[in-house]
Amino acid sequence: MAQGWGLGALINLNHYGHYLQWHVFSISVANLLVIIVMIATFVAALVAPFPGRRNRKGPQ
Amino acid sequence: MRKKAYRPDVDVPEWKGRYVPYDIIKEGTIALVVVAILTVALAVVFSSPDEKAITIKTWSNADPIDFAKTAVSELDGTSGVAHYGAPYNHGGPAQGLGFLSPEKWVGVRIAINTATDFVLNPLEAQPTQPALHAALTQWASASSTTQSSWTSAYASADAKMTFTGDHVNVPTHAAGPVPVLINDLTMMARSGALDQALVTQNGFYTTNYTKPLLFLSDGTYLAGLANKQHLGGDQWGMMNETGSWPGQAWLWLYTFWYQVSPYNSSKSGDFMVFGTMMVLTALLVAVPFIPGLRSVPRRIKIYRLIWREHYRESED
Repeated sequence: MAQGWGLGALINLNHYGHYLQWHVFSISVANLLVIIVMIATFVAALVAPFPGRRNRKGPQ
Repeated sequence: MRKKAYRPDVDVPEWKGRYVPYDIIKEGTIALVVVAILTVALAVVFSSPDEKAITIKTWSNADPIDFAKTAVSELDGTSGVAHYGAPYNHGGPAQGLGFLSPEKWVGVRIAINTATDFVLNPLEAQPTQPALHAALTQWASASSTTQSSWTSAYASADAKMTFTGDHVNVPTHAAGPVPVLINDLTMMARSGALDQALVTQNGFYTTNYTKPLLFLSDGTYLAGLANKQHLGGDQWGMMNETGSWPGQAWLWLYTFWYQVSPYNSSKSGDFMVFGTMMVLTALLVAVPFIPGLRSVPRRIKIYRLIWREHYRESED
């Protein structure tokens, strides 16, 4: 693990990962979490209002 | 003049509403700052993978018997690299599909003779040692039939191979100079000298690690470490990372093909996966020209969700 200036990570991920298996499909928990965060970000981008939208009138 | 029919998938109606100002510099700056803060914060919290490089020295010290068995397979030309074919040698069939065979077209570009490059040349570069010199001379002066009988005798006894007192022991007396050659190569590897001997000098910087990597790939040590980390080709390894860090999830489709037949059983699996992905990539590039597929965004109407206020106002 990289430890610049003698500092370690606050959360240690330097150990064997956990994997989920279903038939031929296999995915690490870390990858699954990243995919869930990406989907959540995408959904938030769809449904969240545009910043400053209330202060100006949009295209007509 | 005849009016052209409006095609909803490809034609864009002229915007007749009003325009509002948009500061792309401001948005770009905000995005840059947010991403920079996130990068630093995530690096502080999780750090990043930094596995120590695996060398032939590491391998031969961790598992000298696996190294010695692999060295014999390099010497007698039965290893994976010896039978790989192009671009390294003519030892095996090239990957291809029908008349398509890029490996054959390119030919042998990085010529490797495993016996000479991985075993004999590094040993010959060693400082003079009488026993080793005699063994090399005996090997060089023997016919290929005799050499094969020596390596066969050694390989057939290698199930009983032991490593004690810094010496590789194989219970056979019919292997000629092979025990000396393999033992000395193992000692050379354990000292780190073989790593240096195999790195190709292309100038001041030594960056060509082709030979040591190929040698490592023929043993079971590297594959064993990779499998423990779920990095094997049949473990969706392409999208995984060492440790518990997230990996390259975007390579899911590439690695998916390696899990299913016929890709995972064909000797041309790599080429078939490459071909499949090129066809799918071409389809993706051609989406705007494919009737039906190009209508998907218009039909699923996600754009109406994004611009919902606009459509609400328009409908009002």
